[in-house]
Amino acid sequence: MKLNSFTTLGLSFCLCLTTTLPAQARIKVVATLPDFGSLAREIGGDNVDVAVLAKPTEDPHFVDARPSFVVKLRDADILIDGGAELEIGWLPPLLQNARNPKIEVGQPGRVQASQGIRLMEVPAQLTRAAGDVHAMGNPHFMVDPIIAKAVAAHIANAFATVDPTHAAQYQTNEKKFESTINAKLQEWGAKLLPFRGQSLVAYHDSWPYFAHRFGFNISIFLEPKPGIPPSPSHLAEVIAQMKAQKIKAILVEPYQNRKIAEKVAQETGGRVVDFAQFPGALPGTDTYVELIDKLVDSLATALK
Amino acid sequence: MKKFIVIAATLCLPAAVFGQSPTPAASPNEMEALRQQVQALSETVKTLQAQVKDQQAALAKMNAGPTSLPASESPAATSALSGSAPPLFPISDESVVATTAQPTPIPAAASGPAAAPVNESFPTTDASVTTSSETISTSGAGASLVAPMTVAGSRASGTYMNISFDGQFALAYSSDRNLDHLEVGDHDPLQRGFNARNLELALDGAVDPYFEGFANIVFKLNNDNETEIEVEEAFMQTTDLPWGLQLKGGQFFSAFGRINPTHPHTWDFADDPLVHGLFLGSDGLRGVGAQVSWTAPVSWYSQFIFGVENGRGNTGFSFRNPGENGIFYGRLTTDREARGLQDFVWVPRWENSFDLSSTQTVLFGVSGAFGSNETGANARTQIYGADLLYKWKSPRAEGGFPFVKWQTEAMYRRFEAGRGIDDAFPVAETFHDWGMYSQVVWGFRKGWTTGLRGDYVHMQDSAFTDDDLRQSRSRIAADVTWYPTEFSKLRLQYNHDFLEANDFLSERQADSIFLQFEFILGAHGAHKF
Repeated sequence: MKLNSFTTLGLSFCLCLTTTLPAQARIKVVATLPDFGSLAREIGGDNVDVAVLAKPTEDPHFVDARPSFVVKLRDADILIDGGAELEIGWLPPLLQNARNPKIEVGQPGRVQASQGIRLMEVPAQLTRAAGDVHAMGNPHFMVDPIIAKAVAAHIANAFATVDPTHAAQYQTNEKKFESTINAKLQEWGAKLLPFRGQSLVAYHDSWPYFAHRFGFNISIFLEPKPGIPPSPSHLAEVIAQMKAQKIKAILVEPYQNRKIAEKVAQETGGRVVDFAQFPGALPGTDTYVELIDKLVDSLATALK
Repeated sequence: MKKFIVIAATLCLPAAVFGQSPTPAASPNEMEALRQQVQALSETVKTLQAQVKDQQAALAKMNAGPTSLPASESPAATSALSGSAPPLFPISDESVVATTAQPTPIPAAASGPAAAPVNESFPTTDASVTTSSETISTSGAGASLVAPMTVAGSRASGTYMNISFDGQFALAYSSDRNLDHLEVGDHDPLQRGFNARNLELALDGAVDPYFEGFANIVFKLNNDNETEIEVEEAFMQTTDLPWGLQLKGGQFFSAFGRINPTHPHTWDFADDPLVHGLFLGSDGLRGVGAQVSWTAPVSWYSQFIFGVENGRGNTGFSFRNPGENGIFYGRLTTDREARGLQDFVWVPRWENSFDLSSTQTVLFGVSGAFGSNETGANARTQIYGADLLYKWKSPRAEGGFPFVKWQTEAMYRRFEAGRGIDDAFPVAETFHDWGMYSQVVWGFRKGWTTGLRGDYVHMQDSAFTDDDLRQSRSRIAADVTWYPTEFSKLRLQYNHDFLEANDFLSERQADSIFLQFEFILGAHGAHKF
């Protein structure tokens, strides 16, 4: 017992020396995307400083590798990224330049949110003729609240490992988040129940996980292929399909071309629904739960 | 297990009944009653057996269902929704929709919100979305670090590196017959007609936990369609040094300014800026060497880079370059081995960046390149550079558009031109040359950019050197580029060149048009800011 307390004392002393941080310092968390950032804040509370790289309103596939991000990553104790190649166009050069061993893959300071998540739409064959496909599967998985819970648990584990002094608090916060989601799921499920099984149109294939969770069918997209801008001939086909299937809603994200969606909506009598994957992208959606609230509400309103 | 016991028990029952039946001399009435009893019992057994079978089948389905589900789930399959396989969307059966075991497709239509059972709950777990919890590793130990995320999704390669091929071509016309003397970069269009000046094989990946490796092998077709090969870059760099340090060694582009360290396919124009080609060389300043860089521990991005390289040959253009046919700026060059550290090229750079706002970023740097040159035994060259990049990107950017990018670079060169080998040249001179370019690129809609660039280079007059590389000149260029995706590009560019008269050359103007087209195959590493 004595030995143990001595070693811990020694260890914590060493830690203080090497990190040159006061014991009470908050751990620095960098999240590539705002949804991970929101979860990190829920779990971390006052013990963490969360910096988010991508803006909630911009296309997460194409974020500029701004040098200021290098500084954030250099100083980070924990990095949360998707790990499913959504950020492949900008994260690797940042990490190369950040030179931070703490957040390398495999370190406790690196959370790859997709770890342990079963990704949908894993392409059987990889060809860019199919557009901007993701080799590991569809990376827009956070809009499924059940998956968000798993990611939250993952984040809480990482926080507890990196900052053991507050481990209990992280676990408590995680449990709280879990029960919030569990309760909210009842509400969301009930709100969307009347529309179960309906088909929707989306601009980009960002919503298979949302569809899976709440029982929608989202398999028609304004983009002819992922990442390829809508062409007139494809839109004509979409319009015909929408009319045939009596589809009432088109999901559009903040960075997508809303005008095109509006045109299609006009032709078909459908409605454009502002959807977003990231907290903060729509007014009044600062947290993850608020975001899903908003999505559920606006979808329910549109389908009424 | 319990079920089997139940079955066994029920199976035993009739046997027991049979066993008892023959004891007393039974009356026909009793016999009849017994027979009916037995029949009833055996029927019960049959139904029980059937039930057990059903349950077993259901169990098997449940177990098999989730594992095979997302793997086989193609985009089309998602549309199957709540139809055939109940485990596909466990949420769709009993819990939320108050239908029976077999959910019919689109049950919602039948049961409105009123029919929703309030006390029954929406499922809050779903085994099908997660793989086993063991794969979530936070300790870093275990074998699940690289690819535990998918079941079926073996990443295309499973290879250890990115391999890509970049083919860049240009169809060119110029009012000047000698496009190869008008253009200053080796990857620029060099003749009227078709050009293939940059066919590049790029490899990169992690070497081991300590190093990353990069290689760029460039194939070029010269004006006689002969293939030239150039090892443009091949280097390793550390990934794991503490204190923000990084070491790099091999053949690589020197960290001088903005354009020099980059590959032509990332350029916003089809050709090299004049000042870059004329001061740092048609191939850019690069060579075999080493470099150390350090990010300063300050709140903004501030990096110091210090490189050293041989600086010999055309890739050390203003340095130990023997020149064409042994002549550089009119002098017969010495072409000697390095005598000491002073004969290497030393390249320091300091760059800083900060965000003006959430949509605006500024990056500025100063660079130097110092070494000796071959025009005399003790002739030296100093080049100083300053560069500025400003970028605005829309907060609602799609595919990275729209944006505005302004980039400017200026260089000053002090070149001591000696008297050549054996002091054969009549005079020694010191040239003070300077030049700059400034370009604005506007990404006005997804996949489309347009740019404007102005170039100017001032070469100090000399009555002794008739080299056409020492002619002061300017250029204005405008282009429109379409990127169907980030892997292909089509660019139309117009150049107007103006070359000033000097003691040997008369004034000259030229107009050129380039149609550049490019494709990238494979996995190409992402680019820096």
